[in-house]
Amino acid sequence: MEVHEAHGETTVVVDTPRLVDAALHLRDELGFNFLSDVAATDYLGWGAKGVSGYIGTPRGRDLNEPATQGHQRLPRQKPHRFSVSYHLLGMRAGAPRVRLQAWVEDGEHVPSLVGVWPTADWHEREAFDLMGIRFDGHPNERRILMDDDWEGHPLRKDYPIGGEPVRFSGEE
Amino acid sequence: MEQAVGLTTLEKAVAWAQSKSMWPDTFGLACCAIEMMSIVSSRYDIARFGMEAFRSSPRQADLLIVSGRVVHKMAAPLRQVYDQMLEPKWVIAMGACASSGGMFNNYTTLQGVDKIVAVDVHVPGCPPRPEALMEGIVRLHEKVMAGIPPAYEIRGVAS
Amino acid sequence: MAVAPERPRIYEGTRIPSPTPSVLEVREDLRTSEDVLTVNFGPNHPSTHGVLRLVVDLHGEEVVGLAAVVGYLHTGFEKNMEQKSWWKAITYAPRIDYLSFQNNELVFVLAVEKLLEIEVPARATWMRMLLAELNRIHSHLVWLGTAALELGAISMFWYCFRERDRILDLFELVAGSRMHTRYFQVGGLAEDVPAGFWDECAKFVEVMPKAVDDYEGLVDRNEIWLERTQGIGLLSADDAIALGQSGPVLRGSGVDWDLRRAEPYLAYDQVDFQVPVYQEGDVYARYRVRMEEMRESVKIVEQAMRRMPGGPWIADNRKVVLPPREELHTSMESLIHHFKIVTEGFRVPEGEVYVASESPRGELGCYVVSDGGPKPWRVKFRAPSFVALEATATCMRQALVADMIAIVGSLDTVMGEVDR
Repeated sequence: MEVHEAHGETTVVVDTPRLVDAALHLRDELGFNFLSDVAATDYLGWGAKGVSGYIGTPRGRDLNEPATQGHQRLPRQKPHRFSVSYHLLGMRAGAPRVRLQAWVEDGEHVPSLVGVWPTADWHEREAFDLMGIRFDGHPNERRILMDDDWEGHPLRKDYPIGGEPVRFSGEE
Repeated sequence: MEQAVGLTTLEKAVAWAQSKSMWPDTFGLACCAIEMMSIVSSRYDIARFGMEAFRSSPRQADLLIVSGRVVHKMAAPLRQVYDQMLEPKWVIAMGACASSGGMFNNYTTLQGVDKIVAVDVHVPGCPPRPEALMEGIVRLHEKVMAGIPPAYEIRGVAS
Repeated sequence: MAVAPERPRIYEGTRIPSPTPSVLEVREDLRTSEDVLTVNFGPNHPSTHGVLRLVVDLHGEEVVGLAAVVGYLHTGFEKNMEQKSWWKAITYAPRIDYLSFQNNELVFVLAVEKLLEIEVPARATWMRMLLAELNRIHSHLVWLGTAALELGAISMFWYCFRERDRILDLFELVAGSRMHTRYFQVGGLAEDVPAGFWDECAKFVEVMPKAVDDYEGLVDRNEIWLERTQGIGLLSADDAIALGQSGPVLRGSGVDWDLRRAEPYLAYDQVDFQVPVYQEGDVYARYRVRMEEMRESVKIVEQAMRRMPGGPWIADNRKVVLPPREELHTSMESLIHHFKIVTEGFRVPEGEVYVASESPRGELGCYVVSDGGPKPWRVKFRAPSFVALEATATCMRQALVADMIAIVGSLDTVMGEVDR
């Protein structure tokens, strides 16, 4: 279990087997009684060289230092492919927020938190539908946004954006 | 369009009746639906054209204003509603999303509702102003008065 | 005069259906009887506020089973935003919750600014707050017009849309477009507030409270309205929190929670306004919360107008914000900055943030993950209407078919943000 702090936000990373215990602890002992959001993120292709990165010197981007293009600061590597972030809120003075995060590979299951916060029901269904993350113990794990017989999980990075190529009027 | 020439008096009377009382179906999908609702409001007042009676049942409606983005899941209900309408029927594709998919060129949005229904008038905008939609409706009325058949007849597709 | 039957009151304990919180299952004894009829309130229905599908089991007039099917407006916003630069992604945001469009832009822009750690000038902050409050009034007006229309108070629609058009005139005056204004930019506002806006806004602020009084005069003491909204759609405070409700649904159930008060963003801690809370937990309570919120929003708009600071309307950070056009003629650095921002797009440092704001429907949150590049890596919007639909099964206990319309209307769902 790790705790990060960034931009004024606290992220608690736990392993999937201990997720339910962590959630119960956060809800009952620390008073985070409100689950705002369950966000699943796919990190396939994260930090590939030449694809992204904040260009600059080790101290940051500096226009007065020429040739800073070579110092591409690539983002930190992620432990697994998918992260499931539970955004929690404590409804009291100060409005403390925390992000409970679990990391899984493709095919791994995450225990469902519907028993802890009933509102996780549809959020987990959406994560399953769009990202393909399976939730153990979810009472109704079905697609929610896509068609029932849709194949594939659209928000994954290896799923194409789809659509039609734009046809310009000059072409025939 | 050569059919526009040579309307008999009876056809002219029928066209007049059709265009002066063309009841739309309540098919509001997304943001354009809000602007479609505002043409019913008193400022833009579509009742002047005899169209304030938005019918909920497609069997009683003449005009389908597809207002909003049509996604893959909604395509089947849209076609079903269109099929339930009785001839003659017209379709206005309101907004960029209904006309061509708008800014959403992706796996789920239909790139234009004319992929599944025959569209008479496309109204551009995101969302189109109520006046723009009125312009589209008035053009449709002019089409009907001139005797131009609905789009499904022109394209020769099933209605 | 006959005595009206006792209306149901808010309950103790929990009524969340089990095992699935969002599905009301038909009771065992009814399931085997022949009296249960399954009706589909399909995606195209005049009263479901957009493309919501409810599969309802009816035992006579009583709703004994309910499941909501959504996804008929899933436009793939989040995946589209990953393909565009940060600048262009802002254009997608307002179309998610298309009734309170500027709130979506606001929360996305706030998230990007949080990642960039950029200072927004005071004028932009106050103007954003003013526009967000005008948007709140707009959203509540459309809600009131359509909810009343569905319950039979048809004339309310025209009155509400009259004021709504005045607000859209104000938006058009400020940003050039009635809806989906795309006026908020990373760092501030896209342009300065045009002259002539303040006079029009002052006129609006005078007219609006009287208009709200008019609306209340029409329905508030109306016997039919009271019969159709009181005691309907009960949701207790504990259930509301467990189901993740926020906004007027939560405040109508007695929980005093408003993000503008609890976690102030923009300049909400510097203006004076009340947060209405009602205890009954029914449709009537939510209606009253929204009416009072309209009045409070007018107060905020008026205070923002009087206290609007002068100064720049966008931050000065040339790595993110375009330099003023006059400078392009004289300064080489400005030209380079302009070129880099327009062609490559500005880059946002690596990180993940979650920013929440109080939209007219509740807590609208935006989770943004950046990899340090010119495009977002992941954008997720936490839509309050998505969560509100989870609560339909709980609110729909002992409801009749006609009550179902009132309850779904009171939850004020916008399908654009449910399906994204």
